Amino acid sequence: MHTTQSTCRFVLTLIFWCAFSLVSTWAENQSTSPEKEKAAIAVLRSDASPAEKALACKKLAIDGSVEALPDLAKLLPDPQLSSWARIALEAIPGPQVDQTLREAANSIDGILLVGIINSIGVRQDPEAVDALTQHLQDKNPEVAAAAAVALGRIGNANATKSLRQAFTAASANVRSAVAEGYLLCAERLHAAGEPQAATKIYDEIRGADLPKQRIIEATRGAILARNEEGIPLLLETFRSPDKKMFQLALGTAREFPGSAVDEALAAELPNSTPPRAALMIQAMADRPETVMLAAVLKAADQGDPQVRMSAINALQRVGDPSCISVLLKTADGDDTELANAARQTLAALPGANVNTQIVAMLPGLKGERYALLLRLIGKRRIDAVNEVIQALDDSDSEVRSAAFYALGETINLDKLPVLIAQVVRPKTSQDAEKAEQALMVASIRMPDREACTAVLASTMNRASSGTKSTLLEIVGAVGGNNALKTLAAAAKSNDPEHQDISSRLLGKWNSVDAAPVLLDLATTAPAEKYQIRALRGYIGIARKFPMPEQERVEMCRKAIDASSRTAEQQLVLDVLKIHPSQDGLNLTIKAKQIPQLSKEAEAAAQFIQQKLGK
Amino acid sequence: MSKQSKQVPRRGFLKAAASATGATALAPTIIPSSALGLDGAVAPSERIVVGGIGIGRRGGYDLGCFLQQKDVQFVAVADIKQKRRGEVKQIVDKHHGNQNCDTYRDFRDVLDRDDIDAVLIATGPNWHATAAMTAAKAGKDMYCEKPVTKNIDQSLILADTMQRTGRVFQAGTQRRNLPHFAFACELARTGKLGKLKKVYAHPAGMQALMSGWLPAEAVPDKEVVDWDMYLGPAAWRPFNKKLLDGFNFEKGGGFVGAFRGGGVLEWGSHCVDLCQWAVDDCLPPVEYNAPKDGELVARYENGTELIFREKGWIPLGSCPVRFEGETGWVEAGDSGKMVLSSPELLAGREVAEIGGYPATFHVRDFLDCVKTRAQPKGNAVAACNAHIACHAANIALQLDRQVHYDNVKHEFIDDEPANRLRSEALREPWRL
Repeated sequence: MHTTQSTCRFVLTLIFWCAFSLVSTWAENQSTSPEKEKAAIAVLRSDASPAEKALACKKLAIDGSVEALPDLAKLLPDPQLSSWARIALEAIPGPQVDQTLREAANSIDGILLVGIINSIGVRQDPEAVDALTQHLQDKNPEVAAAAAVALGRIGNANATKSLRQAFTAASANVRSAVAEGYLLCAERLHAAGEPQAATKIYDEIRGADLPKQRIIEATRGAILARNEEGIPLLLETFRSPDKKMFQLALGTAREFPGSAVDEALAAELPNSTPPRAALMIQAMADRPETVMLAAVLKAADQGDPQVRMSAINALQRVGDPSCISVLLKTADGDDTELANAARQTLAALPGANVNTQIVAMLPGLKGERYALLLRLIGKRRIDAVNEVIQALDDSDSEVRSAAFYALGETINLDKLPVLIAQVVRPKTSQDAEKAEQALMVASIRMPDREACTAVLASTMNRASSGTKSTLLEIVGAVGGNNALKTLAAAAKSNDPEHQDISSRLLGKWNSVDAAPVLLDLATTAPAEKYQIRALRGYIGIARKFPMPEQERVEMCRKAIDASSRTAEQQLVLDVLKIHPSQDGLNLTIKAKQIPQLSKEAEAAAQFIQQKLGK
Repeated sequence: MSKQSKQVPRRGFLKAAASATGATALAPTIIPSSALGLDGAVAPSERIVVGGIGIGRRGGYDLGCFLQQKDVQFVAVADIKQKRRGEVKQIVDKHHGNQNCDTYRDFRDVLDRDDIDAVLIATGPNWHATAAMTAAKAGKDMYCEKPVTKNIDQSLILADTMQRTGRVFQAGTQRRNLPHFAFACELARTGKLGKLKKVYAHPAGMQALMSGWLPAEAVPDKEVVDWDMYLGPAAWRPFNKKLLDGFNFEKGGGFVGAFRGGGVLEWGSHCVDLCQWAVDDCLPPVEYNAPKDGELVARYENGTELIFREKGWIPLGSCPVRFEGETGWVEAGDSGKMVLSSPELLAGREVAEIGGYPATFHVRDFLDCVKTRAQPKGNAVAACNAHIACHAANIALQLDRQVHYDNVKHEFIDDEPANRLRSEALREPWRL
């Protein structure tokens, strides 16, 4: 019985809710609705369920006015509806609402009073300071704490004065909340251009017996409010043996205005332990406008490996061409980890002139340094193709390997024949592999893939069978219309290897335009295994690409017609199940006529019917 | 004091936003631990001691990402559900090979522990902002699942609180640490697409996500399910197990008297967040229009449009975004793939294709920032701006008309109904 009543009430609530919804579509711009307010107030005055009254409160948050205040105030002592009433009261503008909350704060106690005080804080009611000051003395620590934070949110002179007086006298279980409110006052003073007044509060809190987090917050404020005069305190905080204070210094250093702090951090760096110096460097580098680059560069060049590692990494953000020589020296060094880090930083080093300097260093180079710079040209994608091509004649295979890498990353379409020539007529077998890799990378990268594959296809006519196989792989990786045509022709050629490569690449083709080519090969490819491969590729396209369902079903129909094996026919049924449609259902029903497929087709038809809700 | 003219203290907000942007824009990737000499075996002094708050389905996934990190020592879990407390303890203890994961019903007991450096907050969205700010005031860094806030004021206070308390905050917007999304945003941010004209987000539904007051059922024992703690900052209502779905309970944006509005928040906190990154994490749009033909158009101060769009996406998986400039465009989704208007935009760059939107990299970013005190990718200011864009869009949806937002005063211009929707009272005793 109780459940039935509850359900009925819930249904009524829903109807009530919907009624509000319909009324709310009556769009009145930039104003609230007195009619809706009246309706909501009527609910509050009725014997409606608490659920309905709760929803009426939320409605009054949008449309309520002073008219609703007496009825909302009556709900404030109600443990179930007090929070709902405050949703409306926090939202409705006007001093009458503040007065309502102040009056409630005089008559309600316990946890509900905490909520009312919190709302007063949210509304930042300056008239409530006296009442809140009295509540600071409340025996209930939760009430006193709420009053302290509310005073902090109000943050005017009177509120600040109250918190100052309470701060020294507050009991231990309230002092942290008083400090929180007091800190909010200091933040407000700082923002209002009164840093000295703010500093005084921060220092008071720093010197008090409080949880560490309050001290941390006050220390941050004390450093920032002092501006440049806060640098000594920042450095003192950096030197603190306390990990949390050191961490605060790392964060505050990033926030600190001006450039004087950068010099101070640079000077402090040598006095810090390696683990701390490594972290300080990261903070320094997060100030890219004013960072003391020389200090970071020096740390990257010599000293503790942990510090050097951090500094080398930081140069990726704040370095410039002046860092190249130190990084190259480190990259050539014996410490593998540092050398790798230096190479990574060289690849990412900021500054337009870095590329120019790297290319200018090439003439006359030999060996490892030459190879390193060539790889950097590749990694930084520097346009220096002519200089890199010269390195292909170097006697050092490492240099030639680096040159191929660089060409793969940088060569343009005009110069692509240079790379193709290296594939067609390699100097050594090792060069052949590197040249093929470079041509693959370069070809995939070309903006005009049709032009690229045209060049590659034209080369095939004069290439050996083995080279042609390589070029087919590259053409397949590039994709596009030319590639499709080239592979289709090769799939029907007389060379078994080319048939194999081409049918494999076409079978994995990743666009719908391969469908006709695959369907043709499904019946005309020179060997059955390639026909199967092509048919499976065709079915795969029907399966995975978005297309009109009629088109998909038509593809499936053609696939069934082209298939001679149950395995592929079942794959077609899978496609129709994944993309259920009426046309697909019809085709599935028709497929039941194929004797070896009738059972699977029947099951598929049932599945599709179910999906279609039939 | 009138609600309309109330000001949230915002000192340094713009500056903080700028500095966070700078750090994000300049940072090449996550600063690797190895850069700090922290690779290899982790000394006890270098371990980050972590506690969990509300570890359910999503939290369980996040927990796995944390436990993968060798410098994480997970020591405690708080949950209002006894069953979940036990399940998480079992997972953590098995991972660490001990019985040391302590369980708590009240998350404040976790925050009271001095040995805990950071917390993973994966409660329902009802709790996210309140728990995050309580954790910050207790001196904990935090990885907090999204949606992070329930309204505009919460978003602003969150950013202020994290700055004032000096805490490291990472919103659970893990796509900021996935290479293809990062690359797409970089293209937009660095002018590679030409002058940016439109950024598109997929809200995946613009329906209301609100909870009601259901018929009372027998209240479980507090130790089994702490209903009062579950409600937390949400207005009171009787126990009903249908409401015991933290993922959807009081998600925010579900305004009274409407079965629409609010829906942009769940996915918007991801895809709008990416759009915000694409526009260099600037302040949120200043104009929001009522939805029309499945699109809600918002405009930034510089004229760039943020478009919440339901249809018309290239099939690249969930959470797609698209950025259009005068000379090019890019679209990316959760498959890990992206489509570019021209391969030239790739300029030979190798962008790893990581599908399935894993959070591992995002968690690593957070842990590194706990050590370095740098701003993580999903920092509080970035999250604040993205969430304000979602909340303001929800308000335009609710009111079914255009609204204009003032990013300096943090209020809608001459628009009392919209301003009333900027915040909502918390149930006693909770406050921000």
